[in-house]
Amino acid sequence: MDIQITPSRGATVVAVTGDLDTASARQMKQTLNDLLDQGKTRIVVDLFGVGYIDSAGLGELVRAMKRARKGAGDLRVCALRGNVLRIFELTRLNEGMGVYPTCREALAGWE
Amino acid sequence: MMDEGSEGTFVLMSEPQHLARLREWLRGEFTRLNVEHHEQFGLQVAVGEICSNSIRHAYAGLGGKPIHVSVRGSDDRLVIEVRDFGKKFDPQSYRPPDLEAVVEGGIGLHLVRQFVDELSYDVTQEQGTRWTLVKHRRRG
Repeated sequence: MDIQITPSRGATVVAVTGDLDTASARQMKQTLNDLLDQGKTRIVVDLFGVGYIDSAGLGELVRAMKRARKGAGDLRVCALRGNVLRIFELTRLNEGMGVYPTCREALAGWE
Repeated sequence: MMDEGSEGTFVLMSEPQHLARLREWLRGEFTRLNVEHHEQFGLQVAVGEICSNSIRHAYAGLGGKPIHVSVRGSDDRLVIEVRDFGKKFDPQSYRPPDLEAVVEGGIGLHLVRQFVDELSYDVTQEQGTRWTLVKHRRRG
């Protein structure tokens, strides 16, 4: 899994490529915790490059989202492709988390 | 007519980095058994979650321990078995997740159940747990 971090006006975009699974969840956790430790509590995770996600990957996104919200920010996800979106729907995370079709829409209101 | 005796087996070692190779092997098996493409993803997730549970709970994160995964198919069903040799699954320790609460853990088995028609486990062996996942196949 590769992670690219791009500062944007008012938020940080984390673009993920590869599988977000039990093996890579730790890397995701570290990346998100580093951003949150720096006070960057407005985060958009771009999942366009992710074709596979499991409960461990989801767990790290939720954990970081809760931490971001405690810091008056949020973690939003965008550009989910078919199978990944299906996992969000089956776990109803699409209801509890900000899920956007594009990064641009996820960033709206923060820029 | 498919031969249910035709069975493929993969031995996964209990490190998470091997899960990608398991998924690759499963894709090959599912293709061999003519599993519809749109069902393959969910079955990979289901098997991956069971194996992740074995790594985390049965083997408590210890590497180098075996997990046996086998797949066999017939005209009307696909049967996947996952066998570990660690601590047995304890149903008392499992609580279904409250999905309205947006939880960060405990959703693995919930996901498994979304993608298979039957899920059972057997802890009667001397060691470990044997999970059986069954997916019914449409006759066509």
